[in-house]
Amino acid sequence: MTGSLELVPARALLVPRPRIRLELQPGDRVTAVVGEAVHVGEVVAERIRDPRLVEAVVPRDGADQGIPLPGTWVPAEHALAGRHAGAPAGELLFEHGGRRRLVSGPHPDRLHAPADGRVVEVEPGVALVLEIDGPGLVATELLGEPHWGRLVLLPEESDPRLALDVALAGAVVVLPGRVDAEALARARAMGIRGAVVASLAERDRRDLAASAARQQAGLHRLAPFGVLVLGGYLRRAFASAVRSTLDAASGAVVGLVGDPPLLLLPADRQLPLPELDQIVVHGGPEAGREGRWLGPGGIRRVRGGITAETGLVALDDGRTVAIPIGELERFAVLVANG
Amino acid sequence: MSHVEPGAAEPLVGTRTASSPAVPAPSARAVAAPADDRQSAFFTLDHGTATLAGALVGRVDRRWRLLAATAFPAGSNPDTLLGLLVDRLRSADPARAEAIGSGPGSGAEPLVAWPRLVATSVPAATLAVIAATERTRARLEEAAVGAGWNVIAGSAERTDPLALTRLATRPGVVALLVGVADPPDADERDLAAELAVAAAGIAARRPGMRVFLAGPVPDAPLLDAWRAPVIVRLPAPAGAPGDLAASTLRAALAAARGGPDDSRRALAAAAGSLARVLGLRVEILEIGVSGAARVVASPGPADDGGIAASVQIVEVPDAALFRMDRPGSVDRIDYWFTQGLDRARLRDRLAELAIASWSDLDADGALLRGAALRGAVERLLAATDPVLGHGGVDLVIGAGGAWSAVPAPAAAHIVADVVRRPGAVQVAIDHARLLGPIGTIADDAGRDALVAGLGEDLLLPLGTIVTPRGLRPNRPAGRLVLETRGARSEVELVAGGFTLVDLPPGASGTAELAFRGTPELGPRGRRFKIAVSGGLAGLLLDLRDIPLRLPERPDRRRELLGTWERALWPERDA
Repeated sequence: MTGSLELVPARALLVPRPRIRLELQPGDRVTAVVGEAVHVGEVVAERIRDPRLVEAVVPRDGADQGIPLPGTWVPAEHALAGRHAGAPAGELLFEHGGRRRLVSGPHPDRLHAPADGRVVEVEPGVALVLEIDGPGLVATELLGEPHWGRLVLLPEESDPRLALDVALAGAVVVLPGRVDAEALARARAMGIRGAVVASLAERDRRDLAASAARQQAGLHRLAPFGVLVLGGYLRRAFASAVRSTLDAASGAVVGLVGDPPLLLLPADRQLPLPELDQIVVHGGPEAGREGRWLGPGGIRRVRGGITAETGLVALDDGRTVAIPIGELERFAVLVANG
Repeated sequence: MSHVEPGAAEPLVGTRTASSPAVPAPSARAVAAPADDRQSAFFTLDHGTATLAGALVGRVDRRWRLLAATAFPAGSNPDTLLGLLVDRLRSADPARAEAIGSGPGSGAEPLVAWPRLVATSVPAATLAVIAATERTRARLEEAAVGAGWNVIAGSAERTDPLALTRLATRPGVVALLVGVADPPDADERDLAAELAVAAAGIAARRPGMRVFLAGPVPDAPLLDAWRAPVIVRLPAPAGAPGDLAASTLRAALAAARGGPDDSRRALAAAAGSLARVLGLRVEILEIGVSGAARVVASPGPADDGGIAASVQIVEVPDAALFRMDRPGSVDRIDYWFTQGLDRARLRDRLAELAIASWSDLDADGALLRGAALRGAVERLLAATDPVLGHGGVDLVIGAGGAWSAVPAPAAAHIVADVVRRPGAVQVAIDHARLLGPIGTIADDAGRDALVAGLGEDLLLPLGTIVTPRGLRPNRPAGRLVLETRGARSEVELVAGGFTLVDLPPGASGTAELAFRGTPELGPRGRRFKIAVSGGLAGLLLDLRDIPLRLPERPDRRRELLGTWERALWPERDA
């Protein structure tokens, strides 16, 4: 029956040495160099908050040096009375008709490496690509900004309103219970750097996005804060394979990134591997339960009159049930990332 | 399928022969073997965004028959799925399995020996459109959307170069379309060169990005660009904004988006075959999780005396099943949903379905899918009516996984609710997802032969919907006399609701309608005689208003919709 197991869609649990992209905007200045090793927390780029377009005449001594490539950082030029109007330092957008379009702006912020790794590519004004040393736990979305911190798991039954206090400042906390925008706002106010949640409702996501936008607009910003969602929108518990991985990484410094959405784990921790025939039920009346795959259960009619292919699953509570295969998933052992 | 008297007919745009290049050319790799007489069976696979559908087609008594079909969530292993189909055939009909060469000890393993027709639905990728003027931007944007792209667009007239660059370098953008009119408008001439330089700047930042140049945009800056982008020359945007009827740019952009096995483009080829073989005007409403398309194919005489087909396809990414990022899209799903649910919960469930489309299958999850499908078809028709018109067709086919996620009679109800046209139309669904894979057969004659050979196995007939317009609600409307193979039944009609008449799949007959007023059913009149064919929903006389008017109060609307829904979907409350 192991062949039929492949009828159940597999979801990657861990990605070894993932390549992650840190988003840049035109005008951002990359300080890291391709091929360079970076460590968690190191500054890899400067981001400008309010980029603006500046037109500058190509200087006379620059005209015969060829057209610089778009994305090149152009140093500031001082004004010369009657000869040259000068220009601020900035990134070249393009040069046309004897004029340069530069992107410049005040108030640079720092962009930090979220984990140990190596710079593999720089796309000026678009993204900085890092290859991370450790594996990444696969998530579905990062709300907010990439960040890093010590991983702290709150107990299953804890109330975030009581458990989130200033002692957790600088940590990335795993919130296993019900999470809402209020709890996340409290986490941010306590100096917590990020949160890992199993799911988050659409309304709470929008509240969080609005809060992040307000922070972006402020002159004195709070520290970056990211919320990594491992599942979807409806309330779910962490699958046992995910819980085991988080337990194993507890206390280590981890990173949160959004492209692709991953929890970056340390390279030196021994992580448990999911069992091949372990099945997670993610929908229907048995949602949240886990069990072992027994084989195809045939086409059956479910409540509501729809017919669907089912699979026979021996649930961990001892029952054997036929469940629509669309409501099942399993974890792939390791999947390499581009 | 029998030919029914058409409803209000509108001429479809242009008539092409079957070999016209405007009909997408499927893959040369597409299997020609099914037309080969020596072949005893073949598989089809339709790789959708949410669903992997497979079927086993074999020769039975010198004609092709659908022997097994099923669907699993995307991500399932195709070989395992096909192996399951072979096992089921062996178990259900060992003699037949033996006859087509899949019995025990039959020699070559079917998974290796039998050819496969494979179609793949390509998720709508994001295309950045930049133009010199707003006028050209609108034309380019319409062409790109109609070709199935998700589009973000800007023009130099309204947007500065920094914003254009940020727009085109957003995460997820895979290609850039830069265009000017041919010849350039007066206000475009000066901007065309700068636009090309800006495009070169964008391409330099995004290695591997494809750049489409539509019209006389100079390519010299791009040829000099660092990291040499892939440049594709396309026709200039033509016609006024909104005039998409025969856009060569749209066709070129569609070809550039999907590969030769793209299932939506393959549907157009399959629709052409259906129109030629059945001699009917065919409309396909394809709704998927990552996109949607509407195809209209109309038969006509060919120059060589045979039958040609005029085929038009418009893709509408915004009509994807659970797409909710457009204003009002959640409101419309809420409008059609017959269960009371607070808005936040409704949003969460729809968002969850968008990422896990096969979850939430039972109980009101099926009703929610039905409501989402109605919303998607509404968006599809609203976007395509200006191009394809809303004239009468003879056969409406629901294609894509969304139609299989509700019971078949309920699918007929969805068509009746949303496709509000006076006339009579047959309704069917592509239940085994055969149309896409068959559409990948490059040779028209071979494809037509396969469509003809499969016959009634190709589509699941739902029945015939008769929709008159202009009846006074809640009053006696007239009488129906249905004659089928010697049997005769009479039904009194009351306007304002449904009248269902049992007419099983395979049955056909003649419906004589005598109205008290003079409603519109194609032409206006009191008496009509219509050929009807049966299906899982039967003959459905839809005597409701066109357009459909429902109570504003949500509780009353849900109650009324629920009454209609219950008639065609009795298991909904089980």
